[in-house]
Amino acid sequence: MSVDLPEVIADRRHLHGLQATMLSDQQLTVTDKFGLRNKGFHSAPGSEEAEALPVPATLLIDESGKVVWIDLSADYQRRSDPSVVLAAMEAHFDIAGH
Amino acid sequence: MEGRGSGRAAVKPMKTGTKLALVAAVIAAVTARYWFYLAAEVSLPTDRTGFVIGFLGAAALGVYALIKRTSWLGAIPAVFAIVVGAFLPFTVSISAQIVERDSVIEVGDAMPQFTSIDGQRQAFDSASLNGHLVLIKFFRAHW
Repeated sequence: MSVDLPEVIADRRHLHGLQATMLSDQQLTVTDKFGLRNKGFHSAPGSEEAEALPVPATLLIDESGKVVWIDLSADYQRRSDPSVVLAAMEAHFDIAGH
Repeated sequence: MEGRGSGRAAVKPMKTGTKLALVAAVIAAVTARYWFYLAAEVSLPTDRTGFVIGFLGAAALGVYALIKRTSWLGAIPAVFAIVVGAFLPFTVSISAQIVERDSVIEVGDAMPQFTSIDGQRQAFDSASLNGHLVLIKFFRAHW
């Protein structure tokens, strides 16, 4: 989920060889549903001219649709470390056998 | 000056200010390089006092070099040190992310239902996620 235009998403998805569904949220409607709009100062991405940006966040949702884990970046220069996310997935998703 | 070099082309001794400016520029460049290296590795430390000292020190030394008078070429590293040294602490100061405490999603909350579009402008409905384990990431943008 990002504020990028669909075309940018398609381009980057190809560039990085990503398999995940990537969604465009230019108006931040989804971001606002999750309450993740950054209220601090931000530097908006150049060409897309989004009015604001989400706080970088990673969420895990279980089969019942409940949020079981969340990691918010308090600082845009930091992100959820992959090892932290993987550990959380193992803890909350019981994926060892899958 | 006699016998030194070849007349007008003789190299003048470097002014103290110019030397200081070069030192300041090196400090600023090394600190900035290390900063961007750590940023790329997503391992910037939470305590950035060392960086702030490095950057502001370089900027201060750049100012001091200008006060001590540099050659006009020597002003370039001094200004470089001031700009780099002042700019990066500024980015640090604005990098805090603030969400509205009342509305931000929390553990135990139900995932909000939503619709969106993907890279092919195809509609996406979060209902398709029901009954699945889901990982959602919010990005600022493509970078």
